[in-house]
Amino acid sequence: MKKNNYLLSSRLTGKHSSVWVSVLTIVLTIITAGILLLLMGKNPAAAFYSFLQGCGLAPKENYGGGSGMLSDLSDFLNYLAPMLLAALAFIVAFKAGLFNIGIAGQMLLSGFLATALVGYSKDLPAGIARPLVLVTGIAAGGLMGALIGFLKYRFNIHEVVSTIMINYIISYSTGFFINNKYVDMLTRTSRVCTPQSRLTLTNVQIAGVSCKVPLGLLIAVVMAFLVQFIFDRTTFGFELKAVGMNRQCAKYIGVGVGGSIVAAMAFSGVLAGLAGVTYYLGYTNTIIPKTLVGMGYDSISVALVGNSSPVGSIFAAVIVSIFQQGCMLPVALT
Amino acid sequence: MQDYIVEMRHITKRFPGIVANDDVSIAIRPGEVYALLGENGAGKSTLMSMLFGMYEPDQGEIYIRGEKVAFHSSNDAAAHNIGMVHQHFKLVDTYTIAENIVLGMAPMTKKFGIFPCVDIKRANREIAELSARYGLEVNPTDKICDVPVSVRQRVEILKMLYRRAEIMIFDEPTAVLTPQEIDFLLQIIDGLRKDGKTIILITHKMEEIKRIADRCAILRRGKLIDVRSVAGTSVQEMANMMVGREVSFDQNKPKADFGNAVLSVEHLTVENDHHFPVVRDVSFSIRSGEIFAIAGVSGNGQTQIADAITGMLPVSSGTITLDGNVITRMPIRSRAREGISYIPEDRQGMGVVMDFSLQENLALREYNRSPFSKKGILQFDRFREYADQLIGRYDIRSGQGAKTQMRSMSGGNQQKAIIGREIEEHAKLIIFVQPTRGLDIGAIENIHRQILDERSRGAAILLISLELDEIMKLADTIGVIYNGELLKTAPAEEMTSQEVGRYMMGVKEA
Repeated sequence: MKKNNYLLSSRLTGKHSSVWVSVLTIVLTIITAGILLLLMGKNPAAAFYSFLQGCGLAPKENYGGGSGMLSDLSDFLNYLAPMLLAALAFIVAFKAGLFNIGIAGQMLLSGFLATALVGYSKDLPAGIARPLVLVTGIAAGGLMGALIGFLKYRFNIHEVVSTIMINYIISYSTGFFINNKYVDMLTRTSRVCTPQSRLTLTNVQIAGVSCKVPLGLLIAVVMAFLVQFIFDRTTFGFELKAVGMNRQCAKYIGVGVGGSIVAAMAFSGVLAGLAGVTYYLGYTNTIIPKTLVGMGYDSISVALVGNSSPVGSIFAAVIVSIFQQGCMLPVALT
Repeated sequence: MQDYIVEMRHITKRFPGIVANDDVSIAIRPGEVYALLGENGAGKSTLMSMLFGMYEPDQGEIYIRGEKVAFHSSNDAAAHNIGMVHQHFKLVDTYTIAENIVLGMAPMTKKFGIFPCVDIKRANREIAELSARYGLEVNPTDKICDVPVSVRQRVEILKMLYRRAEIMIFDEPTAVLTPQEIDFLLQIIDGLRKDGKTIILITHKMEEIKRIADRCAILRRGKLIDVRSVAGTSVQEMANMMVGREVSFDQNKPKADFGNAVLSVEHLTVENDHHFPVVRDVSFSIRSGEIFAIAGVSGNGQTQIADAITGMLPVSSGTITLDGNVITRMPIRSRAREGISYIPEDRQGMGVVMDFSLQENLALREYNRSPFSKKGILQFDRFREYADQLIGRYDIRSGQGAKTQMRSMSGGNQQKAIIGREIEEHAKLIIFVQPTRGLDIGAIENIHRQILDERSRGAAILLISLELDEIMKLADTIGVIYNGELLKTAPAEEMTSQEVGRYMMGVKEA
């Protein structure tokens, strides 16, 4: 009898088992982390609780003036939006058999371009600035993705190699421009963007406390369902999956394999671009020069914990974000 | 000494949606060659996987040398001197032959008296001795990826011998071999029997059983039909029991009714990646209602001809015309739409997406057309309906119907799915490459009938096969290919199989 190739078959089949894989992964993570904490002589339960506190999912003992649990929660959601978009970017490429390790670079490029082109225009009203930011992110990410796809299809350059190299190119070239033109002399990062271009509304009073409203989260969740729909129900998604699973067979049934690779990478880049603008013009509102965000790589674990299911990765993104965002608090306490 | 070395009593094994073995009992004597005969999916491999500890039976008992055993893994089976050569070899490609054989039980030595490491020199020596003793010639230091399939199989056999296996299970060992290699393998098996080993041979090829086996158990759809002594049973009887009905070895081929030329290939040259011509100046044409067969030894350019016609490979020079239209540079999908169906040689690598479901695979030619999709949205109801039709029409067997994952289906049923999908296109030209390789007699009979039916319908058929019998039986016109050139093209009735065989060896004028 033939044994299943696990990695391949888990990509889309066995709905129940795929959920179990994700759940088991998370449970094992918590157990392992718990054991490590015990060995360090700490109470794991207290540690995990503080993760939740850090994310505004559990109340802290005291809060600073004007903030509350809801403020922490809104911070958490603000972080979640780019994380989910970045994970979706990885998933789209992965389903087409491509490993987009350049999400961090694509995020930085689109974030930088949106900042430089739109973020400093003080005269633009929000109704024009925000859509322009999104369009810039989509265009920058999409074109970068398409370039990577084209390099693979035309010159057979593996996407892992090209994206790693391009990551450096983007990191240093944007760093050069930020340091020369856009730097804030005090913080040594890029100057903050105008509030009307920022994708996160700040200082919104909800239930008496100051909160942030991440508009990007709405985009991210809509995108998750859209990506799921594309892969489940459309001929385009069907072809991308066929290319990802068996390139030779895809060619045999007449799918333009080169075009599919370019399209998949462009699509992945679009999502990475959206992740970039929601990160740099939402979560942080500034860019640290010559630095790639860890989120570009965390998103790979999100995608894999979510078993590369777009909707499933919403939950995976929540879990990984709890670890990432929540750890701020315990670190501060110790 | 007990009468039986292996006894499997009342074995039942179920998988989701299917009973793979239903109350099967077999008993095997020491030193005999015991054949398990059955169609694809009859449960032979499952039964032996249980004997080898890869599955545990749901019901029933296994006795080895009279002692009841319960295997939880193949290590348990190996400890009882049972070895198995799988249909798909389990070898590490980048290791040498000797490393593969000793893997897991390598002779150890201590470097400088302390550092334990594998004594590869001793392993090489031992393997060389072993291979000489059993006439299984291999070079222990060759890497697996550099040696042909037949040598890999020898490595698997040596692996069993190295592990002192007394009971040896061979799962479809001849499916991947050429006729000469089959002869050699059967000699080896005979030698092992003389050496006192017990051999279990899983197969669906009657000729092999006739030549080598002592007794034969026939399985059909999971049930044991009968156990016969091979000497007292005719091939026809075995075939009938295996398929469950009267099998006709001779298809009566209706009289030819040729129409106009559908495909014409002129001065076709195809180069490989290294710009070496693998098809050289080949010309032929096929009329509607005609089966044009290309005979040849494997690797003489026949699959490249098929790939060039369908667009999988670029044409270096020459023209291909389908029904009056030049298609030499046309994209693959347009050619299919113009009327070409293609059953490729590499089923799993090209013909299907293994991780798609059966219904998705059956719709691979139609998914982007109405009614399978509307405005780019897939219509899965239609997928389902169409798959159910084809499953019935082409007798495609699977555990969970249309939703079954391709990977979990047997090779024969995968091929039925491909053939069904391609025939349903009702193309003007159908290209069959090795359509029956590795299939059992019932399936072969069906596929041959389908090929003849398509011929009667008026399709032009290009048949590329390594089986000379198949070509002699079906072809109207035979072209013999050698080293990329069509050496001889003639009506089938003007050539004997001996003549075709001589041209296949490159003899120009016989």
